[in-house]
Amino acid sequence: MSASTSHDHHDHHEPNFLQKYVFSTDHKTIGIQYGVTALLFIALGFYLMMVMRWSIAYPHEPLPEWMSWVFTEEWRGRWLQDGKVTGETYNMFGAMHGTIMVFLGVVPLGFGAFGNYVMPLQIGAPDMAFPKLNMMSFWLYFVGGAMMVASFFLESGAAKSGWTNYPPLAQIADSQFVNQLFTGQTQWLLGMVFLISSSLLGSVNVIVTMVNLRAPGLTWFRMPFFCWAMLVIAFLLLLAFPPLEVAAIMQVMDRLTGSSFFMPSGLYTASAGALDVSGGGSPLLYQHLFWFLGHPEVYVLLLPAIACVAEIIPTNTRKPLWGYKSMVWGVMVLGFLSFIVWAHHMYLTGMGPMVSSFFQVTTVLISVPSVILLTSLLISLWGGSIRFNQPMMWAVAFIPMFGIGGLTGLPLAFNLADLHLHDTYYVIGHFHYVVAPGILFGLFAGIYHWYPKATGRHMNNFLGHLHFWPSLIFINLVFFPMLIQGMAGFHRRWYNGGDAYLEKAADGVNVFGLTVLEKIDLNILMSTSAWFLAAAQIPFIVNFFTSWKTGKKVENDNPYDATTLEWATPTPPGHGNFETLPEVYRGPYEYSRPDHDEDYYPQWHEPAVAKKEETADL
Amino acid sequence: MAADSPEALKKQLKLYAAIGGCLFIGTILTVAVAVVPALDFGDRGFSQGDLVIGLLIASVKASLVMYIFMHLNHEKKLIYLIYGMSGFFAICLYFLTKLSFIDPIKYVGFFTGGE
Amino acid sequence: MNEKILDEIPYIVNPRKDTGLFNSKIGIWLFLASEVMLFGGLFSGYIFLRVYADYPWPERVLPILPGLVNTFILIASSVTVVFAWAMLKLGKWNMFRLFMGITIACAAIFMGFKVVEYKAKFEHQGVRLADYTILEGHLHAADVDSHGHIVHDSHGHDAHGEGHDAHKGHDDHGNKEATTVHTSVNNIIFDAKKLTFDLTKVDEKYLETILEQAATHDAKVTFSKDVFSQSEPGVKPVKIISAGDELSYEKLIAAKEAFVAARTHNAAERTAELRRLWKESKAENEGVAGWKQAQDIAIDTDKLALVPAKSSISATVEPHISFVFAPQKVKSYNASSLTRKDGTMVVGSLQKSPMELGIDAVDFTFLVQQAEEMGIDPDDAVEKAWILSHSPAVKAAWEEHKKHVAAIDEAYFQEALKKTDGDEEKAREIANHVPEVEKYRMTWKDLVRYGSHGEINLQWYDGFKGANHKNEEWAAHFPDISIPREQIAFESKFTPRWNNYYAIYFTITGLHGLHIIGGAIVLGYYMFCPNMFRKNPTWLANRVEVAGLFWHFVDLVWIFLFPILYLM
Repeated sequence: MSASTSHDHHDHHEPNFLQKYVFSTDHKTIGIQYGVTALLFIALGFYLMMVMRWSIAYPHEPLPEWMSWVFTEEWRGRWLQDGKVTGETYNMFGAMHGTIMVFLGVVPLGFGAFGNYVMPLQIGAPDMAFPKLNMMSFWLYFVGGAMMVASFFLESGAAKSGWTNYPPLAQIADSQFVNQLFTGQTQWLLGMVFLISSSLLGSVNVIVTMVNLRAPGLTWFRMPFFCWAMLVIAFLLLLAFPPLEVAAIMQVMDRLTGSSFFMPSGLYTASAGALDVSGGGSPLLYQHLFWFLGHPEVYVLLLPAIACVAEIIPTNTRKPLWGYKSMVWGVMVLGFLSFIVWAHHMYLTGMGPMVSSFFQVTTVLISVPSVILLTSLLISLWGGSIRFNQPMMWAVAFIPMFGIGGLTGLPLAFNLADLHLHDTYYVIGHFHYVVAPGILFGLFAGIYHWYPKATGRHMNNFLGHLHFWPSLIFINLVFFPMLIQGMAGFHRRWYNGGDAYLEKAADGVNVFGLTVLEKIDLNILMSTSAWFLAAAQIPFIVNFFTSWKTGKKVENDNPYDATTLEWATPTPPGHGNFETLPEVYRGPYEYSRPDHDEDYYPQWHEPAVAKKEETADL
Repeated sequence: MAADSPEALKKQLKLYAAIGGCLFIGTILTVAVAVVPALDFGDRGFSQGDLVIGLLIASVKASLVMYIFMHLNHEKKLIYLIYGMSGFFAICLYFLTKLSFIDPIKYVGFFTGGE
Repeated sequence: MNEKILDEIPYIVNPRKDTGLFNSKIGIWLFLASEVMLFGGLFSGYIFLRVYADYPWPERVLPILPGLVNTFILIASSVTVVFAWAMLKLGKWNMFRLFMGITIACAAIFMGFKVVEYKAKFEHQGVRLADYTILEGHLHAADVDSHGHIVHDSHGHDAHGEGHDAHKGHDDHGNKEATTVHTSVNNIIFDAKKLTFDLTKVDEKYLETILEQAATHDAKVTFSKDVFSQSEPGVKPVKIISAGDELSYEKLIAAKEAFVAARTHNAAERTAELRRLWKESKAENEGVAGWKQAQDIAIDTDKLALVPAKSSISATVEPHISFVFAPQKVKSYNASSLTRKDGTMVVGSLQKSPMELGIDAVDFTFLVQQAEEMGIDPDDAVEKAWILSHSPAVKAAWEEHKKHVAAIDEAYFQEALKKTDGDEEKAREIANHVPEVEKYRMTWKDLVRYGSHGEINLQWYDGFKGANHKNEEWAAHFPDISIPREQIAFESKFTPRWNNYYAIYFTITGLHGLHIIGGAIVLGYYMFCPNMFRKNPTWLANRVEVAGLFWHFVDLVWIFLFPILYLM
């Protein structure tokens, strides 16, 4: 097999440019579309965060030119107060930062891009089971995302009530505008309906593909762990998203038709007085519906990263993945448990001891499969002859970073500790450790790992180092101080980073004995680190785009000497993926087998002993 | 599949029609129970008895649709798995949510100054 | 096995051996699983809203007949869709088209009935009075003259279906003085002298209401002051509006643009100044915390080259006339000023703005609930209700209703007495009785029965759409009333706004309706695939089977929806 085999041996009519690159039904193109779009959204989310960090560190100073040049003069006149970030603008950026990162960035990158690109290759399928639905899934995502981003330019601005959009706050947000349809909050909800439809189509597609299109011989327990993770994610998306859709539809009804699903009776606001609604609804119902999705969503974010790392580690340690079966069972239990832990986000809503204890127990339980996964990855490194190439560096960094994220979550699982830490920077620090240095590192590992397969060229190693090391340092400088600040009682929604608090109660001491005054200077360190972190991504962007055309060519279809099926395809894989229908003879991680000459034994290599008749010529 | 042979299908058609008839009767029954005073269960008007009987009839009807029209009487294992899973989580959603409504923190005594 | 073309997706037509399923069948079941969660979420929502409602949940208030007919239709379509699939399997294309055609027709009829049902509710008015009495009925229409008087002409009582907003009213095209606005009598009537517009929220439709009504009454609305556009100091201001110019949308937009330009300029100036101040401050106070420095930093606006930026603009009404404003579009009002939702402030005086209603139901259950919560005897509270002292017709009906209820209760009591062998106390305990929802609520059928002294006795199947004011025989017994604005606590059409029962009703049935439409489109599409039938009948049969599964699911949802929304 040569690396650059042209793949035109079917007499299909050539697809035109639009069909090939824009409205493509090929899972690989769609995967790349997902990936690039998601990375752009992540860049936008990052930018919003930089503006917020300015407001936190220097709340009284105008936004510097190098950040505010993006906005038009008019926009600045509307949303900045003398050039300073206002509370309203901060809220808007905060809500959209969360939304963009979670729903438009990380999920599409992990599940949309990797799930689409890698999974069908790994199971030896010619494409996804429903290619047209696959395309539709991407475009629904695109439209939903575009709607949300476009709402920045509405008179009302984008959604401002946090990424969770709790009513009644979110409900009455933007209520001063005549046309409720074209307000940021409503657009957020409608955009969400699009995103949910998109992930629904995506998850149906993934499950069907995995159930029905596995290559001959690829039994369930010969599937790479990556595929298992995708399967679990697909089920999470399939079953957890609809309740959020319900919540979104109900909130849209409340906003557009004036119903009171989430509006309690007798609600009174300072600006509007007694609200002219019938009342009788329940804000708590929204929280339940939201977090029923919200918690499985955490694992939707996390599992792609673990999945990527689980592929990269065996390849680069030349050792089988340690505890493959327990990882598979672990990930299934994890998926199952993730459905029944959601109310630990709601300890402060006044749940009684019975319910709190139930969710406390399930929450602590779910750390068991998480630890199984992480420990298996860690032990997989033990005694391996590790190749520290680009993907491996990110994968190895993922393990401790995710470890910090996970362990800092334990105090939050306990009701009593959570009462103090709820809505502080401790929570922010905790889940950002999971999401940013954890998940994003894992996904970066994945990008570096499969980039040669997708483009036929290697990424530049020097730029890779230039990306990795500063990222590792600065991301910790951003997030670690958050844990400390949180214990000092910094609230997550202080748009001025605690200054206003200091004026009122400079010597207030939190239960943990730390004061805001002591820790407020950390704001400047964190913000500065955030900007350096942004700078550290520039090498990646350069690397990503320049290597596409000018990187070192991939000489071999299986450059890493890996064992899973995606390396059996031509590079880059053409339409239909495989030149001959692959057959699978063994498990996914057959490295360094003592009875085999090479240190890897690919799944598709026929066993030498029981050799069947040649099939390659057919 | 034997069920797909023409003879079997023709036999099936009769079954489908019969099930349709059952559904019609079930519907009439539901309404009758609700509007005819002589058939009223429990107290006058809508009460728990009516709730139970109404949902019972609806469940029977729904089962008929699922088993016969949706062919769940002879389906593959995987389908049952998918169906069971969604049913299970829907019930989780309902009961766990209900739990937190049933068991709220009540500030009796301590915060309200003893009542 | 290896011969198949590699870029073709396998198991579209024939099932895979180990799973026994073709792709789309797994796909549809997965989709249905997520639909179970979707409707499961909605049903949970329904239960929570109902169980934890702090107001009396409306029970059995919808006319049953449309729901019943729709249930039959949907069941029939479910049968025909399996028939269609079976015909396809048997290779009978025409029979397939016939049955599929019937299915689609059923879907269309179903949606037709839904439209009728929805429309009846959008025309039905509900109002909650200050004492928690709930009245239902149809709004009357009348003409409002330029002084704000409500003029009842010959067709004033013929108000069905005209509960529209004021701006949809029109002047009479006859030769008589065409200076009235025809509208439903549920508006806030306000005598206006001066209008102030919020430039950031100018809305064309809101403005049109004002312009149209002013035109009807031959009043002139003119700007009170000159407005200049100046985007930079030093540049000569351009006059864009002169005092006395007539109000128009274009002018307001021009003023808005001028305001935004000025705001933009000022913001830039102020930002530059603040930057300069911070630079100075930082040079002087090295090492001092930012929040401490900030206390000494203030922009001196006198030094800056700012231009005037005004976000509002005023206009006067000459001669001043009464405008009618739909209450939903008014944010707040008092005796001398009113603010509309687009921020327009109207200065003048509030006129009498009653709501005129043909009552077709009186509901005291909410009042009773409130009374019970406050420890007041519910029957006493009802007797003191505002409506009973202001409407003799309602009072008369209420007396009848009490008698009616007492008679039923007495009958139950006698029945129970027989069982307990004359033990009155025990009999009272076990006796059936009229529940509160029935005792404290007079439906439109009750009103007709009491009004006609029992001559018209309506059954559950009468009145397909519910209370029908066009039926003169019935409408004669619906009492008319004029409710002063201060008595109205909350009012709405029977839309999702009225209460959460209607909200969940519209949400679930609306979503269900969308599923019907979607399913019908997909199923209908297969009727026009004869080529596919010829080339690959199994594939087509698979598709029909899969779409049919979806159709049955939609039917299944309705099987639960019908009892819980119509019968419970």
